[in-house]
Amino acid sequence: MTGAPHATDARDVSDATVVAANLSKWFGQKVAVSEVNCSFGPGVTGLLGPNGAGKTTLLRVLAGLLSPSAGKAAILGRDPKRHPSVYRHVGFVPEDEAVYNHMSARRFVEWSAALSKVEDARSAARRALDTVHLAEDADRSLAGFSKGMRQRAKIAAALVHNPQVLILDEPLNGTDPVQRARLIELFVQLGSEGRTIIVSSHVLAEVDRMATRVVAMVNGRLAAAGSVAALRDAMSDTPRLIRIDTDRPRRLARRLLAGNWVESVRVDAAGIEIRTSDAGALGHDIAVAARDTDSVVMAVSAEDDSLESVFRYLVEQR
Amino acid sequence: MRAFLLITRSVTGRLLGLRRSIGLFVLTGSIAPIVLVLAPGRSDERVATFYNDITVGLGLSILFPVAALVVSTAALGEERKSHTLPFLLLKPASRWVIALGVITAATLASFVILEAGVIASWIAAAVVTGDWSIGVSTTVAAAVQSVASAALFVPLGLVVGRAALVGLGYLLIWEVTLGNVIEGIQASSIYRIVVSAWADLAAMTPDNLETVTEVLGRVEVGVGGAVAKATALAILSITVTGLLLKHRDLVPE
Repeated sequence: MTGAPHATDARDVSDATVVAANLSKWFGQKVAVSEVNCSFGPGVTGLLGPNGAGKTTLLRVLAGLLSPSAGKAAILGRDPKRHPSVYRHVGFVPEDEAVYNHMSARRFVEWSAALSKVEDARSAARRALDTVHLAEDADRSLAGFSKGMRQRAKIAAALVHNPQVLILDEPLNGTDPVQRARLIELFVQLGSEGRTIIVSSHVLAEVDRMATRVVAMVNGRLAAAGSVAALRDAMSDTPRLIRIDTDRPRRLARRLLAGNWVESVRVDAAGIEIRTSDAGALGHDIAVAARDTDSVVMAVSAEDDSLESVFRYLVEQR
Repeated sequence: MRAFLLITRSVTGRLLGLRRSIGLFVLTGSIAPIVLVLAPGRSDERVATFYNDITVGLGLSILFPVAALVVSTAALGEERKSHTLPFLLLKPASRWVIALGVITAATLASFVILEAGVIASWIAAAVVTGDWSIGVSTTVAAAVQSVASAALFVPLGLVVGRAALVGLGYLLIWEVTLGNVIEGIQASSIYRIVVSAWADLAAMTPDNLETVTEVLGRVEVGVGGAVAKATALAILSITVTGLLLKHRDLVPE
């Protein structure tokens, strides 16, 4: 596969439950989301992008907290702004840490269940708190909870009415590794039950572990959509800038240029910067080239390894 | 009905948080120690006159409106500021029911805080004068104040960042300053609506009557009219708040 997957690649799913149609949102002069067309269906979809990409704004518009400036958002075929009854089938976990500090976790989740028209709110709350492993702390005030515990209380409140669509904005923020693993397992399980789970994150590895499909955003625009494998392929084919610190930069650079995956080389006194279309192949070749040229390699680092720069490549190639 | 009760209960509970309640009770209850300090050596009639004057001139004009303002602007303003609005709004409940629940909660919480102050000064005045009916009119005034303030300031809290400050400006400029000099706006003054209810039920001395007449200007005395105006304001407010919840962006950028 060459180049980035186009924004039209698999941006729509056949059995969509959540749809953004030509959706834009701007605040004064600032465009937060621009002409996004995509849909989400059963299973876990990762909404991926660097900080400031517009993920939170997109989720807030989809959830009906913000009105679109242009285009449409729909959940289960209805605009949630106009039809709040759709919230019977929607759970939402906001990015903000805030919770109702005057309530205990149990009361908060029970209250959410009752407002979501669950018949036996008490039992439903008990089950939801069990699911996120908060049963033992359920009667403590939320004010005394750690950030990770607050996240889990919010997730319990979002799950308590057994929603068909779950929108989670950075749900793993503040959770420790054990909680993180459990929550990822939970989201995967919920997705496999046929629910639509949309999870935003700026951490690729997290999304990789739970999502079968990814929607990537950069600068408010849809940068890529498709399966995780397709996106990873696209990223691996994207030119990368690798720096090699070595004692013999000229000699090593000459040797590495023989490889057809090297696009350009810049040599300085302390090392080489190589732009490559295949970072994996280059990685393998560095050791061989160092041996062949009798060079000592002190360090190898990716100069543009951040998700943001990878996505920028994707956008540039659209 | 279930959603209305759940919202009213939870918002009332939050608004009556311990710190806020104590702080505002210090404000609304401050008439009681003034009455107790100034009562000794005065006749019952003088104490009653003084109690009524200070109720109208300090309680109903500044203390009660400020306390009700703080509570009412916090009803949605605090949720907006602390980013908890999604928990309330992303629920399968009509926006009108949410508006009704929040405004009812603000009214109840305001009334509880105002009435705590009323009861304190009521007991103080009644112990000195022996007239245990002296606080009835102030209780009714507190109820009218609570309804009118919630109607006015709950939607303000939803749309304005520093709603309590804006509301305070409104109280000082519109109600206190302009209301005294421009007769045309007196009919729409919450202060005068509240005083008109109070004056209808209070046992006033001639001195009190003079003060009240001066305050009311062109506004007629009458508890019925005051209740009708406050109710109309509340209905308008529920409509406006419901529309805001339906159409406005409910979280910041």
